[in-house]
Amino acid sequence: MPSMFTVALKEFSDIMKGKRFIVLVIVFGLLLTVAIASVYLTVMQNINIPGIAMPRGFLGRAAYTLIAMMSYFAPIIGLALGFDAISGEKEKGTLKIVLAQPVYRDIVVNGKFLAALLATSLAILVASIANIGGAVFILGVTPTGEEVARLVLFIVFSILFAMTYYSIAVLLSTISKRTTQSMIIGVVLWAIFTFVIPIIASLVAFTVRPIRIGQNIQNMTREEMQQLMEEMRSRTVITEAINSFTPNYHFGRIAQYILNVYTGMAIGPRNSTEVRSISIMEGLTSAWPNILVLVLVTAIAFIASYMIFMRQEIR
Amino acid sequence: MSYAIETYDLTKIYKSEEKTVVAVDSLNLNVEKGLVFGLLGPNGAGKTTLIMMLTGLTLPTSGSGKVLGYDIVKESLQIRRKVGLLPDPFGFYDHLTAEQNLEYIAALNDISKAERKKRVKEVLTAVGLYEVKDRKVGGFSRGMKQRLGIAQALIKDPELLIFDEPTAGLDPEGARAFREQVGRLSKEGKTIMLSTHLLFEVGPLCNYIAIIDRGKLIVQGRVRELVEKMMVEEGYRIRVKATGDVQTLITNIAQLNEVSEVKREGDTILIKANRDVRSDVNKIALSLGLEVLSLQIEEPTLEDLFMKYYRRGEVAEHA
Repeated sequence: MPSMFTVALKEFSDIMKGKRFIVLVIVFGLLLTVAIASVYLTVMQNINIPGIAMPRGFLGRAAYTLIAMMSYFAPIIGLALGFDAISGEKEKGTLKIVLAQPVYRDIVVNGKFLAALLATSLAILVASIANIGGAVFILGVTPTGEEVARLVLFIVFSILFAMTYYSIAVLLSTISKRTTQSMIIGVVLWAIFTFVIPIIASLVAFTVRPIRIGQNIQNMTREEMQQLMEEMRSRTVITEAINSFTPNYHFGRIAQYILNVYTGMAIGPRNSTEVRSISIMEGLTSAWPNILVLVLVTAIAFIASYMIFMRQEIR
Repeated sequence: MSYAIETYDLTKIYKSEEKTVVAVDSLNLNVEKGLVFGLLGPNGAGKTTLIMMLTGLTLPTSGSGKVLGYDIVKESLQIRRKVGLLPDPFGFYDHLTAEQNLEYIAALNDISKAERKKRVKEVLTAVGLYEVKDRKVGGFSRGMKQRLGIAQALIKDPELLIFDEPTAGLDPEGARAFREQVGRLSKEGKTIMLSTHLLFEVGPLCNYIAIIDRGKLIVQGRVRELVEKMMVEEGYRIRVKATGDVQTLITNIAQLNEVSEVKREGDTILIKANRDVRSDVNKIALSLGLEVLSLQIEEPTLEDLFMKYYRRGEVAEHA
C-alpha cells in the first residue's frame, strides 16, 4: 500500500524544482536584504544624534523588519503553493490518473500538505537564516543565545502562519472549479486580511471613538489626560477585536511576543527608553491564544478541504 | 460463469441547483472475462460515468456492481489494483519525463523500486515510447500522450483494461497502432473494455458490445449473436456473381419461398431472404449450367447494429 510519503516526495520535488518557488524565495531574500539595509542606514544616520533612543541588541534592530517582511512573505508562499493543489490536478487531468491507482484519496491531500510543510519550512528557514546572517554582518550586532532561541521560535510560528494560508488556499482549490478562480479568491482574501480589515478596523474605531481635535495635551488636566488614555485604549480594543478576524493579526501578536519587539505594546504603553522585556516563556504564555487561533484555522481549513475532496465526484 | 464486469440496476444521478441528470439509469451489464468489450453510445450517453463508478472514482446513487468479483463501492481499492484505466480526458505531469511519470504511477501501485525500472522499460517499449523516455511529457504530441496513457494503464499488469475514448484525437496511424496493441493484449488473455462513440475505429476489435444511450442500456451481447439476430430479424443479404444467363438465375431464385427480393446491380445479383439460401442458389446455378464466381453473405457491420438498436431506443424513448 503506497503511503502519503510517495505523494509527498513527488510533490516536494516538484515544488523545489518549480520556478514559482525559486522566484518567491529569491524575491523574499532580496526584499529582506533591502529592508535590513534600510535599518542599517537609519541606525547610521541616527547614531550620533543626541536624544534619539537607539534600539537595543540584535532583535531591537532587526525584529521589526523580520516581522513586517514575514507578514507578507508567509501568506504569499502559502497561497502560491496551495492555490492549484487540487484544482490544478483536476484541470490537467492528472488527478484522474492518480486516483485510478490503488490509493486512498487522503494520501493525496496528506502528501501534498506534508510536501508543502517541508517546502515552506525550508524556504522560511533558508530565507531567515540568510537574512539573519546578513543582518548580523550589516548591523554588526551578534544575537545572544536568548535572541537565537526567540528567532527559532519566530521561524516556527512563521511556518505555522504560512501553513494557515496554505490550508486556506487548498480549501479554495478544492471547492473551486478552476485554478484561476481559486487564485483570485486567494489573493482577494489575502488583500482583505492584510489591508482592508485593518483599514476598516481603524475607521470603525475612530468613528466610535473620534479624536477630539483642538485640545493641547500640554494644557490637559489629569482627568482629561486619563480620559484621553481611556479613549485610546478603547480604540485599540475595537481595532484589535476587528483585526482578530484575520490570521495576520494573530501572527503579528505572536511575533511581537516572541521577538520581544521594542514596542512593548502588549504589556504597556510604548516608551523608547523604558521597555519592559518579557521572557520567552512569558511571551509564549501571552501568545498562546493567538497560536491556538492559527492552529485552529489551519486545522479547520485542512479538515474541510480533506472532507470535501474525499466526497468529491471525479468526472 | 466468471464475469469481469457485472452491474445490477446501477444508477447515477447528478443533482445540481439547476437540474437533475440521470447519467446512468438502472444499468444491468454482464461481461465475461477474456472478452474485448465495446461500450458504445453517443456523446453524453453515460459511458464515462459508468467507468468512473466501475473503478470507484464515483459512487453510484443506487444499484450495485462488481468488477473482477470485487464490489465497486466496498472494494474499489482492490479493483484499482487489478484494473488499468485510461480515462478521458486525462493528463500527465508535463514537467516530468515519460519515465518519471510512469515511475510515479508505479510507486503509487506499490511496485518495488527494483521492479519499477523493469516494468517502466517494458511498458514504454510496448507502446513504442522507450526511445523518448527522457523527454518531458509537455513536449509530447497527442498521440504520444495517448500511448503513454496506455503505458500507465499497463504498468500494474492488470487483469482488466478500461480505455475511455482511446482513439479520440489520434491520427489514423495512431489509431491503427492502438488497434494492434489491443489485439496483442487480447491475445495475452486480458479483458478489455473500450468505451467509444467512434465505432469504425475500435468496433472491429470487439467481440462483445453494449449500446447505451441517455444512461439506459439498449442492447448487450456477443457481436456474433447480435449480427445473426439482426440478420434473422431484418433478412439475410446475399451477393452472387455468376457467368451466363443471369436473368434466368434471378427468375429461379425469386421462386424460392424464403426469398423476399432479388435484384440486379451491375454484374451482381442482390438477394434478400429470411434465411441463408446460399446452398439453394448454388444448386440452381449448377442446374442451369452457370458458373458461380462468388456467393457471399453480407453481414451487418457494427455500425448497422448500432444504428438499428440506437434508433430503436430512440423510438421507444419517444413512444
